[in-house]
Amino acid sequence: MRRILSTVAAVAVSAGIVACGSSAPSGTGSPASGAGSCSSASVQKDLYKKGQLTVATDSPAYPPWFENNKPSNGKGFESAVAYAIAKQLGFKTSQVAWAYEPFDASYAPGPKKFDFDINEISYTPQRATAVTFSESYYDVSQSLVALKNTPIVSKHTPAELKTYVYGDQVGTTSLSFITSQIQPTAQPKVFQTLNDVKSALQTHQIAAFVTDTPTAQYISSSEIPGSIMVAQFPSTGEHYGLLFSLGNPLVTCVNKAITALKANGTLAALQKRYLQIYLSVPTIKP
Amino acid sequence: MSAIDAAGPGTPAPPAEGEAVRIEGLRKSFGANEVLRGIDLSIATHEVVCLIGASGSGKSTLLRCLNLLEPIDAGRISLWGQQITGAGVDQNLVRRYVGIVFQSFNLFPHMSVLRNVTLAPIKARKVPRAQAEEEARALLRRFGLLDKEADYPDRLSGGQQQRVAIVRALAMRPQIMLLDEVTSALDPELVAEVLDVIRELAANGMTMLIATHEMGFARDIASRVCFLADGAIVEQGPPSALFTEPKDERTQKFLRRIVEAGRL
Amino acid sequence: MSLGVGGPAPGSFGTTGRGPRLLSGGGRRATAISTVSTLVVLGALVAVFLLAPGSAQVRHTFFNPTDMWQALRGDPKKGYYSVGAAIWLNIRMFLAAEVLILIVALAIALVRLSTGPVAFPFRVLSMIYVDFFRGVPLLLVILAIGFGVPALRLPFVSAQSAAVYGVAALVLSYSAYVSEVYRAGLNSVHQSQVAAARSLGLSQATALRHVILPQAVRNVIPPLLNDFISLQKDTALVGVLGAIEANEAAQIYSSTVFNYSSYAVAAVLFLLLTIPLARFTDRVIDRDRRRRLAGSAP
Repeated sequence: MRRILSTVAAVAVSAGIVACGSSAPSGTGSPASGAGSCSSASVQKDLYKKGQLTVATDSPAYPPWFENNKPSNGKGFESAVAYAIAKQLGFKTSQVAWAYEPFDASYAPGPKKFDFDINEISYTPQRATAVTFSESYYDVSQSLVALKNTPIVSKHTPAELKTYVYGDQVGTTSLSFITSQIQPTAQPKVFQTLNDVKSALQTHQIAAFVTDTPTAQYISSSEIPGSIMVAQFPSTGEHYGLLFSLGNPLVTCVNKAITALKANGTLAALQKRYLQIYLSVPTIKP
Repeated sequence: MSAIDAAGPGTPAPPAEGEAVRIEGLRKSFGANEVLRGIDLSIATHEVVCLIGASGSGKSTLLRCLNLLEPIDAGRISLWGQQITGAGVDQNLVRRYVGIVFQSFNLFPHMSVLRNVTLAPIKARKVPRAQAEEEARALLRRFGLLDKEADYPDRLSGGQQQRVAIVRALAMRPQIMLLDEVTSALDPELVAEVLDVIRELAANGMTMLIATHEMGFARDIASRVCFLADGAIVEQGPPSALFTEPKDERTQKFLRRIVEAGRL
Repeated sequence: MSLGVGGPAPGSFGTTGRGPRLLSGGGRRATAISTVSTLVVLGALVAVFLLAPGSAQVRHTFFNPTDMWQALRGDPKKGYYSVGAAIWLNIRMFLAAEVLILIVALAIALVRLSTGPVAFPFRVLSMIYVDFFRGVPLLLVILAIGFGVPALRLPFVSAQSAAVYGVAALVLSYSAYVSEVYRAGLNSVHQSQVAAARSLGLSQATALRHVILPQAVRNVIPPLLNDFISLQKDTALVGVLGAIEANEAAQIYSSTVFNYSSYAVAAVLFLLLTIPLARFTDRVIDRDRRRRLAGSAP
């Protein structure tokens, strides 16, 4: 019975997410509705560990999503969002505990050791068969990162894009973007971690890699010397959601929290603070 | 085997008569154990010398030193007047003149009989393969082994293996043959066929130094018998003299034990 | 007296002469009992698997035929590659590596067994080499070479594909192990063989090449082929360098479509590679043994 209920809930949540799509934060829903039914006292039974909200992310946790690889300092977009949601649910800052979950394990099936995972994980229909996603907290577009003064910086028509050797992290939507949208003639190199991908770029083993725009901006301006964010690609409707174990009822209250944060402008303010794209980047077709 | 047969293209043929081997003051130790304590021996061309003595008396060691398989500690060995134990001697060349056959045959198990026999002539004497095989077959036929040419050693009886080992050594056209107790590992009924081969070699004038326990054979074939004890040649002489009237007490004791064992 | 290198006399393992008997006498009844009991145990295991509460989920997630077929064929537009095509990269890597390993390892073994003062520094170097590459895990060697050499920016050397670096790492690492196998083989050839070869006037090099080495290698064919089989599987590690070999292709499929059946496909493909080689090894050992021990001297 519980299984049927949670499956229905998952389907409902997924349907809700698809319906919301990649739209800009809209002021729907009244923030005060059902405040009582989603307080920290009433969600205790759904928590992984009573008395605390366990939030997971990967390590290292990269800027601009986190800072100094310390999720608990509240700095960085995702860290701030997590604490904002916790506050919305009635948790004190001290009641938020952080857990470690490597990216490619997060969407594996089975029970989770956290309440939700916040780690730039995009919703995909396949992943949603194994885990439950919240509403979008950030709409994503992919961007291209390469080294300065390399051919791809100036030659990147769709036909030219097919000729380069790309690299990316296994299991990411960025990799899927390369294989399904760019469709290069040479097989891309597929690495286990983002750090390996960055290494490969620096040692000229790959011509470029794809990642979400804020990360691309951060890497090219602060991390890899001599690199440049070549361009961004048009959005394909991708968005980041918080990840829950399949059928976790907590997602309902979290979605209410996200809606509230969108309505009162908190989410927009955090996006502006951490994810502002300063450079004007051309948009190119894949 | 004619002495004029060279040991290979470009190698000089040794003199057909005269002293073939001279051993002077040979000493050899293995660690603290002194096995050969001053051997003096001279062997003339066409002579067949038998070495007898108890196990551990140094017979095998002496033969291995002659073939340069063991380095010597003191003394010298000369072949046809040329010293072979000094520095700068081409050992591989010396070994083409002196063939040795071992107690445990030591055939190469991963090669057929024919290949066992032809390997060294092809590689060391640089004989072309076709010619080497022809010579090998002639030798094998001569000793009744031609039908075994394609067999591998472990399909042969001990006697056959030892005869192949002798043929293998002969294929190198040595001028001197050293035989190290070649029948000791064989069952009694197989000993005779090997002794027949050796008899034939002797009859054809091969210079030989034979270590053996076969006293009856030694008496028949040897021109001289040497008795080795405690690393030195205690007594030597023609078999008729040594076997019937041994002069040294150690020789007498040894021969008495042999007679008691019914082997003389 | 038999020349065999310490093998048992034929007939000591059983009367059929076809190797050790697995059943100890008793004939039909014993066969029936052991067959039935084996089937019962296997049946119990299968039953546990099929009847477990999570069985349907596991079968769908790990052994789903549709996913296995899709993974085998691949579809780059959907974001994943063919596991069947990727195994070809594994095959090429291990063929190249094995040839090089057989040569390099032999050279190292011969250096270690050399005598004489001139070879001393080489002996020491080869000992250090063997200790080092047997001690460092293969994965670390692959990472060091695969990421380190490109980072050095040497002309030509730093511009190779991941598979080339993978093969280099495999050769370096495996040669250390295989050289010890060769050393065991060389030491196993009785000294009397060397004596016989030298006494015929053969030089040390000729004796080594025609008499010692052939016997040495024949003596260690089982461990050599064992290492070869292990090498086939270790090619999967090269995936960390980004090369899309079978294991990596399986991982890409599973993390895109979200089903682990691609790993089952990869496993089956690896089995198809290694099992024939294992049976071939058995036949080679058997044939060599029969040839050496048959008809030994009475």
